[in-house]
Amino acid sequence: MQSYWFGDVSEGSCVPFTGDVNAIVSRVLSLSTQLDTFIPPDWQQAAACGACTDRADYLARLQAVCIAAAERSVREHYAGKDAELLQMVRTLDEMDEVINLLSERAADWYMVRHPAFSRKYRRTPAHILVRTMREKSRGALGRVAGEIEQLAETRTALAKEVSARANDVLPNTSALIGGLVAARLMAGAGGLLPLSRLPASAIQVLGARTALFAHLKTHTPSPKHGIIFQHRRVHNAPRDIRGRVARVLAGKLAIAARLDYFRGVAVPEFLEQAQARIDAAGKGDGA
Amino acid sequence: MIWIGDVLVSRGEGGVYNERMLKGARIWEPYRSKLAALYHVGNGVELGPAQRVLYLGAANGTTVSHVADYTEVVYAVEFAPRPMQDLIEVARRRRNVIPIMADATRPETYAPLVEAVDLVYQDVAQPDQAAIAIRNCVFLKPGGFLILMLKTRSVDVRKDPVAVFDETIRVLEAAGFTAQESVWLAPYHQDHAAIVCVKPGIPAE
Repeated sequence: MQSYWFGDVSEGSCVPFTGDVNAIVSRVLSLSTQLDTFIPPDWQQAAACGACTDRADYLARLQAVCIAAAERSVREHYAGKDAELLQMVRTLDEMDEVINLLSERAADWYMVRHPAFSRKYRRTPAHILVRTMREKSRGALGRVAGEIEQLAETRTALAKEVSARANDVLPNTSALIGGLVAARLMAGAGGLLPLSRLPASAIQVLGARTALFAHLKTHTPSPKHGIIFQHRRVHNAPRDIRGRVARVLAGKLAIAARLDYFRGVAVPEFLEQAQARIDAAGKGDGA
Repeated sequence: MIWIGDVLVSRGEGGVYNERMLKGARIWEPYRSKLAALYHVGNGVELGPAQRVLYLGAANGTTVSHVADYTEVVYAVEFAPRPMQDLIEVARRRRNVIPIMADATRPETYAPLVEAVDLVYQDVAQPDQAAIAIRNCVFLKPGGFLILMLKTRSVDVRKDPVAVFDETIRVLEAAGFTAQESVWLAPYHQDHAAIVCVKPGIPAE
């Protein structure tokens, strides 16, 4: 028997499927075909089956079903909790880039107006410098500095939202490495499902693509950490054991991501053990 | 194919992606579309109003819309939701585009929808491009054509593009296909090649 979108055909007889477009879509999305015995459908069969009147009608009906099915699949894909978080993280990272780029440019501009100005030997944080530029500059430069401040505010608010959302979507991963970094890992993998399928070794170097490919191609030293370097336990670790901490942490993150995908809630027993193991690696135990 | 001077065009409703028009026809840019590039550097497969096409890796429906201008119907398979949203919009305006959101590596999931076709066009940048094409040729009529767009860097970045190209042709011929034409798409696309094959068998008519 061959099952097609319009009905089931066997030995020249056909049982038409009756139902509206929605019912046909559900049928189409649930059918699976044995390819080795598969014979493609044709419109004359469908016409004999009573599913259409002629070729044009066949295509029109099929198109309506396929558009509805595609719309449903798109909707279901975006319904996942990670879909919006992914866009939020990417927006956040792009805002950081824009803010840095604009600040550098504005500072260069400011130095042209103030030939005696230099940032050397001063510990002026970037946002204070931007404020000074806004207050002391007339015209467009002052306004650009003002815009940078606004952007920075929006960025801070977005970072808080990302963190909160990550705690919800990635409870175990966030508990180990913090919401922001967890969300970046998820975005680096392309979503929660792809992240949960990555081996620990890939999670360890996620975000170190250039270094990884340089290693594969020209045998430079392998990267020891990518995005996970942003976590304090990795970047605060002494240089000689940093690779070890990154490896142990990545191992636990791989498990955490799977718990996040398949269970969706924090698992205290796992987190306790994992934290202890990562702490031990940081102290130099457990090679 | 329709040429106005040395410009490749297709006839259909314009404005799909702000494409430029020439004498009322839609200009089909070789720098934007790999299939258009194939018609510029080689022969490709002549498209006609009786043809049914299975298009794998339909993306935003840009090239799909041109193919649909020439042919009877295009079954357009795309896996990613973002381009699918655009593809659905193209299908709403063109009654001969059938959008299918599915993974081209798993033809069994869309088999109940796709009739026998005259041409399989594959533009899925995956490491096992040849295998995907072969699996999808259950839909291809005997004597039908397969056009494979090979992105050599997707197969293996470390390998020489020419080696990847030769290996792909070997795999296709081992599966019974006869390679009719194989060309690099330079200068329009770098490290991309097009392979045109014929499926063995006598066309039923």
